[in-house]
Amino acid sequence: MKSLIGAVVWKEVREIRRDPITIWVAIALPLVMLYLFGSALSLDVKEVGLAVYDLDQSPQSRDLIDAFPHSGYFRRAHDIQREQEIRELLDRGRARLVLVIPHDFSEQLAGGRTAMVQTLVDGSFSATAMVVAGYAAAIIHNFALEQAQRALAAAGHDDAHLMPIEVNSRIWFNAPLKSVNYIVPGLFGVILMAFPPLLTTLAVVREKEAGSVQQIFVSPVRPWQFITGKMLPYAAIAFLEMVMILAAGLWWFNVPFRGSLLLFLGATTLYVFCTVGLGLLVSATTRSQLVAMLLALILTLMPSFLFSGFLFPIFTMPDMMQMYTYLFPARYFVEISRGIAMKGVGLEVLWPQFLLLIVYTAAVFSLTTLLFRKKVA
Amino acid sequence: MGNRGRMAALVRKEMTQFLRARFLLSLILYLYTAEVIMCVYSLSFDVRHLPTVLADFDRSAASRLLAERFQSSGYFRIEHLADREEQIASLLNQGEVLAAITIPPEFSKQLARGERASLQLLLDGSNANTASVAQGYAQRIVQNFALDRVGASRADLMPPVEHRPRIWYNSELKYSYFMVLSMIAQAGMLVGVITAAAGIVREKESGTIEQMMVTPIAPAEFIMAKMLPPLVVGLLALIPGLVVAAVVGVPLRGNVAWFFVFSAVFLASSMAIGILVATISETLQQALLIAFFALFPIMFLSGTVVPVESMPLGMQYLAELSPLRHYMEAILGIFLKGVGFEILWPRLAAVAVIGAALLGWSLLRFRRHMG
Repeated sequence: MKSLIGAVVWKEVREIRRDPITIWVAIALPLVMLYLFGSALSLDVKEVGLAVYDLDQSPQSRDLIDAFPHSGYFRRAHDIQREQEIRELLDRGRARLVLVIPHDFSEQLAGGRTAMVQTLVDGSFSATAMVVAGYAAAIIHNFALEQAQRALAAAGHDDAHLMPIEVNSRIWFNAPLKSVNYIVPGLFGVILMAFPPLLTTLAVVREKEAGSVQQIFVSPVRPWQFITGKMLPYAAIAFLEMVMILAAGLWWFNVPFRGSLLLFLGATTLYVFCTVGLGLLVSATTRSQLVAMLLALILTLMPSFLFSGFLFPIFTMPDMMQMYTYLFPARYFVEISRGIAMKGVGLEVLWPQFLLLIVYTAAVFSLTTLLFRKKVA
Repeated sequence: MGNRGRMAALVRKEMTQFLRARFLLSLILYLYTAEVIMCVYSLSFDVRHLPTVLADFDRSAASRLLAERFQSSGYFRIEHLADREEQIASLLNQGEVLAAITIPPEFSKQLARGERASLQLLLDGSNANTASVAQGYAQRIVQNFALDRVGASRADLMPPVEHRPRIWYNSELKYSYFMVLSMIAQAGMLVGVITAAAGIVREKESGTIEQMMVTPIAPAEFIMAKMLPPLVVGLLALIPGLVVAAVVGVPLRGNVAWFFVFSAVFLASSMAIGILVATISETLQQALLIAFFALFPIMFLSGTVVPVESMPLGMQYLAELSPLRHYMEAILGIFLKGVGFEILWPRLAAVAVIGAALLGWSLLRFRRHMG
């Protein structure tokens, strides 16, 4: 029995070795993807193009303007001379934030009256627009506080009333607020869901299309032995991919890893079997490679990218969709991966996710075996 | 048979074959409707109902009022109450909450005495974007609360600068507008690349392409006939996409005709990528793998998920080569900004040039292969 599985494994290994494109795709591309996505998928706001329309041209207005590039979030891209330029700059995307300081800005401040400042934010990409608007508001607020403190100090008053309540905020798990620390541990889950299932599916469906799978089913190889034999080489490749992207991710992006590496590798092994199993499940349902690939895309890659919490937070989703995210194992793995890497927690916190992953993997394999058996009978 | 008759016959054959693939067609429809709807209604970077734990050690009228402010803002949702510090840590570790508000015991006394009171806010910073937006909201809630308490009685204490922010193009900062347009663009890319690649490689694999080449049909005609059916279906599939966009409330400020013109050129360009993939690969498996791994970065790194401007400089230049990047910018312009051809023509030109270059390259490869 063991030798039958061994025979299937050996046959698959030889087929993989004969196909350089597949090897290349399996080994090199995960690294390319890790690099591309790790460096590109960032919502961090820095160096936002700022255009300034300063009608006042006073020392005070210049102080306020200088506070923007000083914060590190903005880059002074353009000085506006005429009002019509504002629309053009925003329409062409040359500036994301326009700061308008009216004629009487310094005059009002000097007279102890409330001065006005206007900002215009390009809202087309709302996620960063919110952050940009928030930073702009904070910079202006700080400027206002400084002005008020100066005025109060000059009059010899205490400034406690200016800020009756102070918010001490502290950030846990990712104190420098760097997106990359969040994206890379999640990316492990997405990449492992993108590559192994597709490779596995295509390997099986190719045999179905060519008809050679019938020959295997009339041989003494049982369906479960065929599945195990097909799975093992791809699970090995997937595991190799994982070790590579883990090492590269930590090294390239300097991402902190706080928890137990051993526990992480355990979770990975489990997840790899789960993803390869999903690939086999897709292959059991179709005979066409094109359909298999589109199905794999819709069932594995898209949900792991969109509905796993990898990029889009789950807490903002409607309740129905929050339930929907449980249908895809990427969510469990992304939580485990981030829990171990960012929070440094272990099984005492993550046991529910581990349990779900085990149950899910077992269910996928039972279903796949059942489907293959039915096809043969 | 004349040139035109030959072409018509070829197109008819391709159309029949394409429409026969029911499953493929239903997948395309699924992408444009169900997938778009699901994504639009659930995916966003908005911060609202952030799961929060409250530890109120003051238990005064003032602290309750402040907690109420957090809750009614809609940005925070107090889901747990804690009376010990350890509870907060464990809730944050489990990911049960993403924010913790701690009101210290002397809060109301300090407020009453006119001293500066303080408040602690703990945020799960894993998702940097969520954390920094939430931090801003919390500051604003507390600031407004404080101002209301100091009241109008002390007008001299009001901040001396009034900030009037305005958001253009998407004044409610709704991510769903962006999402609908991005999903429509991504679906077009996917459909274009895959149908074109599969259509040609299948003929290669079954050997019918050799038969095609011994007929008077020129490679260019063959490719054109291959491109037409998915182009027509792809354009028709935009209509349900537009309906979804209208239901979501995405404003269409520009000209819808330009939208279809851009879409047609864009679909042709994506098919050009598919055709190039088909000329490189020998088997369907290879073609699908290559197409898949070309699509993966193109689909997500063309300004469809995060803006191109926030990517590293080298990748910004690479993104210029992607037709999807220009198309995305163009449809954002047409829908949200209401700008027209006079601003968007460089985008259209870019998509057309990229498409033409890829097609030219594929034709060269075809000729060599078949010659």
